[in-house]
Amino acid sequence: MPSVYAIDASSDFSAGGSAATSTRVTTLSLVPIEHEYLLPAKPESDSVERETPLRRALHSLARSADLLRVLTESDLRFRYGRGPWRFVRWLLEPVALVGVYLLLVTFILDQSGEAVGLSLTCAVIPFQLVMLTIANAMTTLEARRPILLNMAFNRTLLPASCALTECVGFASSFFLLIFMMGVYGVAPTWSILWFPPVLLVNLLLAIAAAYGAILLGIWLRELKAFVLSFVRILFFLAPALVPLEQTSDSVRDALKLNPLTGLFEAYRDVFLYGQRPAAWELFYPLIGAVILFVVFVPIYRAEQRQFAKVV
Amino acid sequence: MISAYGIGVQFLFNRHLRVVTPGEARLRGRRMTTWGLRDVTFSIGHGEGTALIGPSGSGKTTLLRVLAGVFEPDRGKVDICGRVASLLSVDAGLLPLLSGRENALLLGVIAGLPRRAAVRALEEVKARSGFEEAFDRPVLTYSQGMKARLGFAVAEETNPQILLLDEVHEALDHEFRSFLQERAHAIVEAGGIVVAAGHDHPMLATICTRAIWLEHGSIREDGAFEDVQPRYLDSVQTQGG
Repeated sequence: MPSVYAIDASSDFSAGGSAATSTRVTTLSLVPIEHEYLLPAKPESDSVERETPLRRALHSLARSADLLRVLTESDLRFRYGRGPWRFVRWLLEPVALVGVYLLLVTFILDQSGEAVGLSLTCAVIPFQLVMLTIANAMTTLEARRPILLNMAFNRTLLPASCALTECVGFASSFFLLIFMMGVYGVAPTWSILWFPPVLLVNLLLAIAAAYGAILLGIWLRELKAFVLSFVRILFFLAPALVPLEQTSDSVRDALKLNPLTGLFEAYRDVFLYGQRPAAWELFYPLIGAVILFVVFVPIYRAEQRQFAKVV
Repeated sequence: MISAYGIGVQFLFNRHLRVVTPGEARLRGRRMTTWGLRDVTFSIGHGEGTALIGPSGSGKTTLLRVLAGVFEPDRGKVDICGRVASLLSVDAGLLPLLSGRENALLLGVIAGLPRRAAVRALEEVKARSGFEEAFDRPVLTYSQGMKARLGFAVAEETNPQILLLDEVHEALDHEFRSFLQERAHAIVEAGGIVVAAGHDHPMLATICTRAIWLEHGSIREDGAFEDVQPRYLDSVQTQGG
């Protein structure tokens, strides 16, 4: 028999999911509750109705979506500030990032090939989504310290929030891709319809990496720069500056094991070569994301219970 | 209603005496372990105002954070029935780079309001906090009292049944202290619960009829405020003298 009864639950979320505690937001009828926190909620209406499990799940989903949205919005405020210049910064950041590599490849390395700038953009942009998500994730606990110390909330949403923030930054990169296609006279083909699944795999890899990055951000806080350098090494251990077909035969198969390789090539297929990405180009990064999820999500779920103690 | 059964909260330290998570402790080794709370058992019924008293480092803040769901107990369990609002620091969970309005929206949703409701409540929060144009200024320009006012205004919007206060009232101006006392009384009279920690005992006495005296993370005494508080002060004077 449950020892505690609460007044109805309209939506719920868990701060930790441990056996000892969880959180639940109340509505208005007697329901048995064990080991639960009841957190603040103001029902939208005063109607008293018993909820079905489906409806409760939908409430929980809606609540998570709301939370994810406000966390991402606040992150974007940190990132871009306010005022008209934030849009300029948002638009120019990807240009500046690609520009550095473009100068390196075209002027210093004097690299020739098919639409070098576009090829490079197809590598830099997916990499930046992953890289900036990792960088953001490593500092996200520190940035949200006041909230972590004052209120309970679903902290498992933090990695997704980091990735969504960078996705907004990524949106301006899409304009850069279109611009580069125009510069090199590459006409869009039906292959562009493959962009959503490619982007989804890119986003999944970024979110999966964010779980690990948040943990590394607290475990190895004095080594954050080193971790980011390691991620940058992965960029150069993939066909970033040149397409995969221009790499030597001896390393080509090994390079495919880097999940970034598939992503870079998939972007090139969609935007440069105008063809459907090969299955491995989506499958390998997806496997990489799954491995990261399997390894880090259980550890994250256990560790997030302690975040408020260490920030 | 709040029921706590044998709560224990553990802190692990590395060799630099920084608190670490269990994962980091396993990865890099740990130097020592301390218990911020040990075997703390109590229950607080409806309509009860309870003060947590004790010296600094006795576990008052840790206990409030457990009740707020910020810390999860490493031992024991906590049952809480009712909507909880917490003001556990003077900054009240506000992010300094965001404006008052942006913070109110963020904290409103975190506190349990649907986003649409939190947006609708913004003008109400602005009016309740007494801010005018300051509501749209970054919080880093606010005084401590202003931060506490805004934090409390957001907490009020969730219509809390349980209010947790950790010394924040001690940073407030007299006008807002009276308002806070009034609201705390209203919550208690409506059958809610107020748990307040601090060293301003006259203020605590106006809100709380019960006191829990914490020492080294354990409950030393639990009883009527007018009984426990003088014994605590005697103990402090005895140790000091």
